[in-house]
Amino acid sequence: MFRRLAAVTAAAVVGLGVLAGCSGSDPGDDTTGPVKLRFLSLAWQKESLQANKDLVAKWNAENPNIQIEYVQGDWNSVHDQLLTSFEGGDAPDIFQYESAAIGEFSKQGYLADLSSLMSSELKGQISPGIWDTVTFDNKVAGIPFLLESQVIIANKKLLDAAGVAVPPATGGWTWDEFQANAQKLTAGENYGVAWALKSPTNRVMNLSLNFDGKFFYNEGGKNVVKIGDAETAVPKRIHDMLYTAKSASPAALGMSGADSLPGFFAGKYAMLPGSVSLRQQMVEQAPAGFEWVTIPPLKGVSSNHAANPQTLSISEDSKAKKQAMQFLEYFLNPANMATLAKGDWLVPTGTKANEELVKLTQGKQGWDVAADSAKDLTVSAFQKVPGYPEWKTKYATPALQQYFANKITLDQLKTQLTDGGKAVLK
Amino acid sequence: MKRFLQYVALTAYLIFLGFPLVWMLSTSFKPPRELVQLHPSLIPDAPTVNNYVQAFTEQELGRAAFNSLQVSLASALLTVLVALPASYALARFKTRLGTLALGWVLLSQLFPFVLLIIPIFLILREVQLANTHTGLILIYVVWALPFALWMLQGFVRNIPRELEEAASVDGATRLQVLRKVVFPLLAPGVVATALFAFISAWNEFFFALVLLKSPDLATLPVTLARFVGIEGTARLGPLAAGSLLATIPSLLFFAFMQRRLSSGSLAGAVKG
Amino acid sequence: MKRSDRATIYFLLLPSLMPIVLLSLFPLLRGMYLGFTDARAGRNVDVTFTGLANYQELLQDDLFWSAFKVGLIWAFGVTVLQFFASLGLALLLNQPLRFRGLARVLALVPWAMPPVVVGILWRLVYHPDAGLLNEVLYRVGADGLRTNWLGDFSTALPAVILVGVWAGMPQTTVVLLAGLQGVPKELHEAAETDGASPWQRFRNVTLPSLMPVIVAITSLDFIWNFNSFGLVYVLTQGGPGGKTMLPMLFAYEEAFRYGNYGYAAALGNVMVLIIVALLAIYLRRRLREANQ
Repeated sequence: MFRRLAAVTAAAVVGLGVLAGCSGSDPGDDTTGPVKLRFLSLAWQKESLQANKDLVAKWNAENPNIQIEYVQGDWNSVHDQLLTSFEGGDAPDIFQYESAAIGEFSKQGYLADLSSLMSSELKGQISPGIWDTVTFDNKVAGIPFLLESQVIIANKKLLDAAGVAVPPATGGWTWDEFQANAQKLTAGENYGVAWALKSPTNRVMNLSLNFDGKFFYNEGGKNVVKIGDAETAVPKRIHDMLYTAKSASPAALGMSGADSLPGFFAGKYAMLPGSVSLRQQMVEQAPAGFEWVTIPPLKGVSSNHAANPQTLSISEDSKAKKQAMQFLEYFLNPANMATLAKGDWLVPTGTKANEELVKLTQGKQGWDVAADSAKDLTVSAFQKVPGYPEWKTKYATPALQQYFANKITLDQLKTQLTDGGKAVLK
Repeated sequence: MKRFLQYVALTAYLIFLGFPLVWMLSTSFKPPRELVQLHPSLIPDAPTVNNYVQAFTEQELGRAAFNSLQVSLASALLTVLVALPASYALARFKTRLGTLALGWVLLSQLFPFVLLIIPIFLILREVQLANTHTGLILIYVVWALPFALWMLQGFVRNIPRELEEAASVDGATRLQVLRKVVFPLLAPGVVATALFAFISAWNEFFFALVLLKSPDLATLPVTLARFVGIEGTARLGPLAAGSLLATIPSLLFFAFMQRRLSSGSLAGAVKG
Repeated sequence: MKRSDRATIYFLLLPSLMPIVLLSLFPLLRGMYLGFTDARAGRNVDVTFTGLANYQELLQDDLFWSAFKVGLIWAFGVTVLQFFASLGLALLLNQPLRFRGLARVLALVPWAMPPVVVGILWRLVYHPDAGLLNEVLYRVGADGLRTNWLGDFSTALPAVILVGVWAGMPQTTVVLLAGLQGVPKELHEAAETDGASPWQRFRNVTLPSLMPVIVAITSLDFIWNFNSFGLVYVLTQGGPGGKTMLPMLFAYEEAFRYGNYGYAAALGNVMVLIIVALLAIYLRRRLREANQ
């Protein structure tokens, strides 16, 4: 009642005769006629932006009955934008995001279950471990399409000078070898490694799978945080490099991957552990004559690390889910997926797309390493736990920051992480 | 000597406050390689206009700037028009409404605004103003009003009542008194208010992001944000180019307005 | 009060009242009400009234209270520094100096810059390797002072406070400058002929006339600073180790990241209550002084 009253008053105040008609171009209920779908894309690099726009334009030209409106979003505000539009019943039909974030939306009922909508062909292109990262309560919340594997970018000249050999694309160093090499590359003011850990939790969670560190365990149907040797392996090794071996720069801790570039290009740091997409900055921003190499993911008990794929999802409220899926099948066919991956310097999820990409690039600029790293990526427990975002922000991130700043001991870190788990996973 | 010290102090202030302008100018002409130097230089070694080309061809900055200008000017104008009479009433008449208004001013500024976004969004949808500039302008006006009311009523209180009474004795009606005596004296306050309303509308991001879904309607801050990527990475060149162009209109608007900050001063009026 | 006066008041207030009720008051009341419910994000979620349950939980929420402490330091620090810096600048800009017009425009740069670029800019200023601040220290030979400003546990909060002061100064300066225009000139002249020193004139003439404006802008600044978290979020995301976790950021994450609308609204209500109490003390004292 009050709402209605408020609405009428507002219309009177505003004095606009817009109340009648012009309710926009919402797609009608009938799913057979021509439809217009909004597609929220998060592409932001020059090449991927172009690739996205080109694919949409091509589709629109060929499919007059399913028109896609390309809407540009950005990574920093997309969460707020989506949440608000879900609540307001105004969400885009199709949107790009990442598996770590869409689980919550899926559980809240905002995302269409894609399992029955997609073709078996698309399904077969992507490995089960990757599908797991987007499956929540047996519902597929999005199509994973781009993967960010964790590799190491290194300064070739410094490696050569220190007598460190570059490993082949198919087999990387163990953590022990990596730490030893970092030591060799440390001299005077210059460090072997810059661990850019501005957001430490996701990185630690991802890499901990190297040692089978899962952090979250299911005990009698309940999620609990448990920290054993498998979980502490990665934080402890990083801590050792910072304060015992002093082969990693403490100043780099608060940096994001991109922040560490000036120091890397100046030779201050010899190696940057980070995302495969850092290769783009190498190509675009490295000074003339700078030689860099991509070193494959590290090995603990395995090279496994957690994948947080970028995804494409369809809103539950969309009135033309079938048509939206038709577009996605086209948008993510092997050739197109390869183009998109190339534009963002990431690894495509599809096996055929990956093969095509290696052919396209001849494996240069680290594409051989990137392609091979796809097999190491899989799901980790933390990605499926509701409450992970809260645990991460409230407990894990501050605790890890304190530990890496050498303010607390490993035991205190363990306690804080476990207690945080108890507080959040009630 | 005293003047000299004043100039030194002023220069220090301006360097502190104005240095980003130099940074944006310098960055906007740098090619990507020069953005990651350990000791960055002020003047680009190999200047390029590529950033400007990219900024304008990839995103529709021109249209976004036009949208922003339209929304901000309308918001500033409306805010002043609405706040001026209301602030006078609040300052001159003691009513219960005055206390309520004060309470509202505090509350509206204090309550976490993220919690208000969803209800506001729903109301605007209800009255068909979601995804329109009109809806956005309305929000900006309401958002700027607490500040505008509070500031302006302070300025009204500063005007001696005797001035108004003298005019009424001369046979002027209440509205004439307002128009001829009160409002001219409020000029500096009005300028400050208009500036505030303009710039907060010009820079506002969240409502513009959530409310406007058509790409054609997007404002500048939302468009500029597209040059920022994951985890604090950004395409600094195009971002600096776009930001520089986004900063200039506000500065021009202020350059135009700032002269009014000193005109119509109270002392002169009392004397006259 | 005459009846015609009353009519005038309502006539004058009417235009501002309607949109306020609709777009501010109604959402505000609804938001505050949420603080007494278990509202959560989700499609077709039922909301039930839970009374004071949120507040019981809140009292034991140590993380929130430590954020609240950081928030008070941040808001007080920024507001006080901002006020003194802006007063100095406003007084300078009120002098008949050359290039005053240009200076007034340049002083506004922080305000005119799009917020999205402000955070990025300051991250670059504080960058440990290639940052402007460390570069300046290096060039003047104070190499030992170079540090990782935003990453160090002891410098992170002061570093973000400086950015807060920088970002809010133009607004405060403009308001104070406008206020200075209202100080009657002949009072100054009279004081000068009486042989008052510039400091005495400032203390006895300028400051009293400026007081209402000062009270208004410092209260608003305090509220705004307490309320703003966007800048700090971009700079540090509340880190390192929670040293810059502001209460509004905490409430935002509670609502938008974890979807606990009810609890977040309760946090909002409590913050409103405490800040209003603080302001009431401040305003009462200030207004009494001003009326003397």
